[in-house]
Amino acid sequence: MNKKIAIRAENLCKSFGDGDSLVEVIKNASFTINKGELIALIAPSGGGKTTLLMMIGCVEEPTSGKIRLGDETVYDDKWLTRETRKIRREKIGFIFQAHYLIPFLNIIDNLTLLPQANKIDEKTAKKKAEELLHYFGIADKAKAMPSQLSGGQNQRVAIARALVNNPQIILADEPTAALDMQRSVDVVKMLKNIAMEQEVAIVMVTHDDRMLPYCDRIMKIENKATVFER
Amino acid sequence: MIHLAKEDIRHTLGKFIVTAMGVGMLLGIVLIMMGVYRGMIVDAEVLLNDLNVDLWIVQEGTLGPFAEASRVHDDLQYTIRSLQGIEKSGIITFQNIQLPKKKSKIRVFAVGYDVYGSISPINPARLISGRPLKTDHYEIVVTDKTGFSLHDKIQLGRNIYTVVGITHGTVSSGGDLLVYISIKDAQELQFSYSNKRIQTDRARGIVNRDTHMVNAVIATVLPGYDTETVARNIHKWQHKSVYTKDRQRAVLTKYVVEKASKQIGMFTAILVIVATIIISLIIYTMTLEKMKEISIMKLMGLPNSMIVKMIVEETLLLGILAFIFGNIFSHLIYSKFPKRVVLEIPDAWMLFGVVVVASIAASFVGVKKVINADPASAIGG
Repeated sequence: MNKKIAIRAENLCKSFGDGDSLVEVIKNASFTINKGELIALIAPSGGGKTTLLMMIGCVEEPTSGKIRLGDETVYDDKWLTRETRKIRREKIGFIFQAHYLIPFLNIIDNLTLLPQANKIDEKTAKKKAEELLHYFGIADKAKAMPSQLSGGQNQRVAIARALVNNPQIILADEPTAALDMQRSVDVVKMLKNIAMEQEVAIVMVTHDDRMLPYCDRIMKIENKATVFER
Repeated sequence: MIHLAKEDIRHTLGKFIVTAMGVGMLLGIVLIMMGVYRGMIVDAEVLLNDLNVDLWIVQEGTLGPFAEASRVHDDLQYTIRSLQGIEKSGIITFQNIQLPKKKSKIRVFAVGYDVYGSISPINPARLISGRPLKTDHYEIVVTDKTGFSLHDKIQLGRNIYTVVGITHGTVSSGGDLLVYISIKDAQELQFSYSNKRIQTDRARGIVNRDTHMVNAVIATVLPGYDTETVARNIHKWQHKSVYTKDRQRAVLTKYVVEKASKQIGMFTAILVIVATIIISLIIYTMTLEKMKEISIMKLMGLPNSMIVKMIVEETLLLGILAFIFGNIFSHLIYSKFPKRVVLEIPDAWMLFGVVVVASIAASFVGVKKVINADPASAIGG
């Protein structure tokens, strides 16, 4: 077994409805993503990017196919575990278009919420969160509320939150959509560094072609299947 | 461990407190309604307790003056007094009258009693100034809430009465303020008619109207005698209905305040249901406002139990806080009500239990929303 594989999908299919109203969104998508890679996922609007992201994120159940996350097969024509939420909690980090931090929790609590749900003791979770805040240069904002931070700072906190449970995979849904060009480049470079340094596979949905040069590979959805452009 | 409910409430503390105060006012009204009912019971028993007699002898086949019209001759008291086991007896009349005050009138419940008799309805503990009646005519003792002062003059019928005493906390079973007059004045007010009426009655052949009537004869029983046995004897030989103090109290509760208590019970039940619905709607709205965050938490993998705990705790805290505000509110306003309101601790605890159950029930709508929340909705903006 190749220890470098983070995600492997085989003949992944997803359709909605049935009979005459059957709509196939993804058909026989097969791909492998390795640890340490930053992958750009591109497709026209309605092309199935979010659906694919949700399937490998164990949020949306595929119609058929196989998904392996690291050394664990999680889907083989059916979920192999009843607790897909546990897989998300332990193996996957999410970054969204907006930061979507919990507005009633301060920054440090936003970061320690998930580890505490994973039964990691408060002290350890807090230490890890502080390390991440230090890494992202916002250690002094630990006690601030999200509403007191700028958009860029909040997005860095959101990335830190995605990393706090030491995930194998980070799924980023247009993380630069709300940022200007310079900040977008900064965020993508940051993701690239994280992928390399922490051996994490990052799949980033983007509409911005200017971000593509910073990614290791570009995965495109064409005719409902995935192809790598680079 | 992060306490989600605590942090969420702290984030919107002002809004949460104002909401709890609003619901609290509603719960305060529930407590007041319970207090009104308790007040009715207390009011109903004021006269009964102040008189503190063992037996009520009333017109046969009636439930007595608290429940319906009853007339017996005033000299029945002498017959009763002569019976074995009777310690002392007296006579009493009850009637609603209107006391003129400035340009308006106050409805009061006048108790007539034998000033020289051995049983007085005026409880010395309730007499806050002046004295009881001393003469047979034209003196009146009023309760403080009538607004009269000592030595005030009050026109009643053809005569002018002087206020000689003021009592506190004396009301009738119907909640009317109590005043006390002599039995002779009471009989005159109740059974004497105007000259014109007397002329008309005479023209109709009605003569010699008997004014020596009272509403009840009251008596106490000598120590060592069984009250029930004495009551049975009186009923057997005097052809009168006889009620012991306990039975008279039962009459008051069953026939006088029963319907009112059911009415208040209905209001209270409706208010509790309304409070539950309001708490449910508030929690539903509070949950809706957090749906994006809830979806994100579910997407990240937070267990439902953690999120549900937050909703249930917030609902419970809202209910408990509202209950505290309700108690404060009811204690601030209860004395402003024209009738007696008695706030009792067991009633408050009972409401607390209802609030806890109602809050848990109310949280179901929020919990259902959480369980049905789609984590996928967090992706895609």
